[in-house]
Amino acid sequence: MAILNVNPTRMNLLNLKKKVKTAIRGHKLLKDKQDGLMQKFMEVIKEAKAVRTEVEKEIGGAFKNFLSASSLMHPEMLENALMFPKAKVDLEVTTKNVMSVHIPQFKLNKEGEVVTYGFAETSGELDLALVSFSNVFELLIKLAEIEKSAENIADELEKTRRRVNALEHVLIPNLNDTVKFIYMKLSEAERSAITGTMRIKNMLEEQGK
Amino acid sequence: MNYSIAIIGSREAILGFRALGVETVAAKDSQEATEKLFELKKTKQVIDGAETETPKFAIVFITEDLAENISRDDYKKLSIGALPAIIPIPSHQGTTGFGLTKLRRVVEQAVGSDIMG
Repeated sequence: MAILNVNPTRMNLLNLKKKVKTAIRGHKLLKDKQDGLMQKFMEVIKEAKAVRTEVEKEIGGAFKNFLSASSLMHPEMLENALMFPKAKVDLEVTTKNVMSVHIPQFKLNKEGEVVTYGFAETSGELDLALVSFSNVFELLIKLAEIEKSAENIADELEKTRRRVNALEHVLIPNLNDTVKFIYMKLSEAERSAITGTMRIKNMLEEQGK
Repeated sequence: MNYSIAIIGSREAILGFRALGVETVAAKDSQEATEKLFELKKTKQVIDGAETETPKFAIVFITEDLAENISRDDYKKLSIGALPAIIPIPSHQGTTGFGLTKLRRVVEQAVGSDIMG
């Protein structure tokens, strides 16, 4: 493993030892976060899959109604009928914080009537189609909310995983190796100092005789 | 804060949503849809004639047949930031399964492997 580029001094040794401690604690915290996120993600993804399957089923029916309506009507008439919608939708968005991930919460506000055309030139199928669209729409909003949540959590999860891996496999081993390296260097210097003094002492004693 | 909803798709697919009060944007192919998506993402809310920093649209639906061919790079750029959420929905031609593929992609990104089966 790589050794960090530091001078082998006692000062650095102490600092590095502190760093190792912090890194290990950070690693533990991030790992916990990852576990928590993963648990949440599994819940969300399960729900997302269920909602999407439902949407696919429901929206098929809505489009079928709409297609049969448009086949019965003159295209221009259809266009005219739907030209100026009176209905208005807007979305209230709040965010919820789950493990420092912001999850959107959508609340749909519907206003006005969906069917806003004269009945003389349109077919009854169109009314049906619009009602079914209106019904499926709420499901679509729910789908959007859940899928966006899943996306955001996945993003954060990926980031956290990278961090955990970087700490576990790169930073902490490197720090440990460096600590070991400095420790060895220092003990080596110590031994060399002792033998040095011993030799000098011997030489002095011989001179004194 | 209140946001609007938009939908991008072929003319036939989006007509029905117009009656609901959703902003509809017609696009013929994926390239056009991508351009429109970037435009919609850039659109800001206008309050009292002044442009604000918040995006106008919270959700942009796009039909699956158009969403399928948007390149991954573009998609990544589009999905940066909290809003808008870009959600593929089945078109009038039925589902292509792209929605589930996208979910699978998200799982892969999060877990590291596809565990949805």
